[in-house]
Amino acid sequence: MEPKKIEIIIDGKKVSVVRDSFLLNAIKALDIDIPVLCHHKDLTPNGTCRLCICEIEVRGRKKLVTSCNYPVRSEIKVETNSGRVRQHRKVLAEMYLGRWPNVPVVKEVAAKCGVTDGLRFKSDLTDENPKACILCGHCVKACEEFIQERILDFAGRGIKRHLTMPYGEVDKHCVGCTSCAYVCPTGAIEIIDDMNHPLDAKMIRNYGMKINAEMATIDKDQCDMRSVGTANIVDVMDAYDLLPVHNYKFGSHSETEKIGTKLFKREYYTQGISDGCWKGCSMSCAKTVDGFELITGPYKGQKVVVDGPEYETAAGAANMGCFDAGFLLEYNFYCDTYGVDTISVATCTAFVMEAYEAGVINKTHTGGKELKFGASNEVLEILHEMARGEGFGVDVGQGIRWLKKKWIKEYGADAAFLQDIGMEVKGLEYSEYVCKESLAQQAGYTMAVKGPQHDEAWLIFMDMVNNQIPSFEDKAEALYYYPLWRTWFGLMGLCKLIWNDVVPADNSQYPPHEAAKVPGHVEDFFKFFEGMTGIELDENKMLDQSARVHNLQRIMCRMLGYGTRKDDMPPFRALGPVTKEEYESRADRYYDKQIKENVGVDPEGKNTEEKMAILRKFREDQYNKVVDAAYKKRGWTNNGVPKIERLKELGIDLPELVEIVRNDQE
Amino acid sequence: MLKINNRDKIEWNKGMTVRDVLNRMKYSYSLITVTVNGELVLKEDYDSYKVPEKADVIVFHLAHGG
Repeated sequence: MEPKKIEIIIDGKKVSVVRDSFLLNAIKALDIDIPVLCHHKDLTPNGTCRLCICEIEVRGRKKLVTSCNYPVRSEIKVETNSGRVRQHRKVLAEMYLGRWPNVPVVKEVAAKCGVTDGLRFKSDLTDENPKACILCGHCVKACEEFIQERILDFAGRGIKRHLTMPYGEVDKHCVGCTSCAYVCPTGAIEIIDDMNHPLDAKMIRNYGMKINAEMATIDKDQCDMRSVGTANIVDVMDAYDLLPVHNYKFGSHSETEKIGTKLFKREYYTQGISDGCWKGCSMSCAKTVDGFELITGPYKGQKVVVDGPEYETAAGAANMGCFDAGFLLEYNFYCDTYGVDTISVATCTAFVMEAYEAGVINKTHTGGKELKFGASNEVLEILHEMARGEGFGVDVGQGIRWLKKKWIKEYGADAAFLQDIGMEVKGLEYSEYVCKESLAQQAGYTMAVKGPQHDEAWLIFMDMVNNQIPSFEDKAEALYYYPLWRTWFGLMGLCKLIWNDVVPADNSQYPPHEAAKVPGHVEDFFKFFEGMTGIELDENKMLDQSARVHNLQRIMCRMLGYGTRKDDMPPFRALGPVTKEEYESRADRYYDKQIKENVGVDPEGKNTEEKMAILRKFREDQYNKVVDAAYKKRGWTNNGVPKIERLKELGIDLPELVEIVRNDQE
Repeated sequence: MLKINNRDKIEWNKGMTVRDVLNRMKYSYSLITVTVNGELVLKEDYDSYKVPEKADVIVFHLAHGG
């Protein structure tokens, strides 16, 4: 492997730079001031103004290069201010000043080059306007790189080069994101209206542009959200044994690449465009497949445009054992078309498949369908039945909780087994992460007021992989902060994805507990709030704002007869292995080790059933302990009901709310 | 022996780099931060940074998605 770093010499100083990085960055890191007009730190350099030229020596030969877009690939000597360099810059500065004599940035850069007038190059092209466009191209690149549009571009050549929109008309596709005006160094592009009348539009814009810049510059080296969207996690989850396979029995599969992002990028994302979920969004993570021909259902034979898939949709296919990209797109299209949730349908169908394979139900119950894992055609049939309101699909559409009741009552099914494998809590199907080996994630899912929904799935790495919240109290802290944080930006109508699907380059400077919160982006959200309302926020204020709503939601659950500890209890599949094959698939990595090290029992000589019983008791006990700690942190009773004193602290001790929880107080 | 994330143990070899540790642990995630005995190791140094014996290695995975 070639070394990632190269040593070069800049003005006599030896420095180590990352291979392929641009020379100008290394020069700036040495605090050497080089004049530039067309360079912007967050936009792709193209060497237009040529003021950043330097003289480099490669294998004994000297030449001039524009340092902003010169990638360092070999050991070179660099002179940033040689006589030859100064001469070139001086002539260029005179030319710029001759054309735009009153533009402040031009005057400033010319002064750095020792030039105070451009009379030598004064001509008919000279523009005396101090806010003249200097054709630097920042706006064109910001439009394309920040928000992936091409509203602005140059037209004409040579002295006729000018900035324009297509056909010289105002383009209706422009959403007024103001990126162009933000990066314009002269003020040639002005913002004339802030339509929503925020209190501090500039503050919002500054922080929004920071995110735009991150998307343009670092996303490609992080999650690649712009290219493949959230589905990038399919490969990751498979690698970390967290991808749900066969109703959450397993965490990876040999055929995952058939629904992986590489395949979608190569075969399906032909135009690289998003679905326009939010016009002007710099992330645009919802990718689009066009020209997809459907093979089933009412639109059979038609070519359609299909969303995504998002991670959870793809992972749902894995959960059903359907490793087929074509199926996945057809499934996604029809779920969207019928208005049903891809996650709930997948989790429910995976449950049905396991029940079928276990003999709980058979073809007489499914309308003749052989619903084994991987039965892609049958899944689509169920989906169409669900939409038409006929057949077994109608039952599946009722969800796992309903199916369990029916099968126990009408078919005499084993209630305990169905409770163990039916991945639902509070009537909502689990989203698509295997949480068996992460205690915090088990509680994160199960204790969520709205049920085990996908936006509660953040503690899995912190707990299982990073081991950064080892104690019950650590987990309780995380189970306090993260659900409230999620509730908060949901309440504000702010998208979650720009919080931690791209992170600032300097995020690693924080210790793990802080880094996990992505402080730089929490600040962005707070500033959006402040810019709009004028109210300054900090972490405690945010948590209190959110806790008011969170507690109110819990009281509403209580009002409806739910909202106590029994409603926060998961199916055992969420905590550990239900079947022998599950136990044995992870015995070496997790279970035998845990029995030995944490329970203090030697697994040697015990059969799988015995070990499963020991592990189950231990894990259920652990789960209850983490719930105890989380309730305490939230100011709830041991039965999971908000304490009246907590409502007082939050200023929501309204008589009608207190009345609902009064009898639940300890 | 090396300790990873205050829990997992792997065998140490002379000349072992951060990249070797990540490969051994099968850590392929894009949003990770690595510290060795408390010192931050930059991504561009993963191939050259030599991990000393008995080092305390933290491989911090930042959650995303959902």
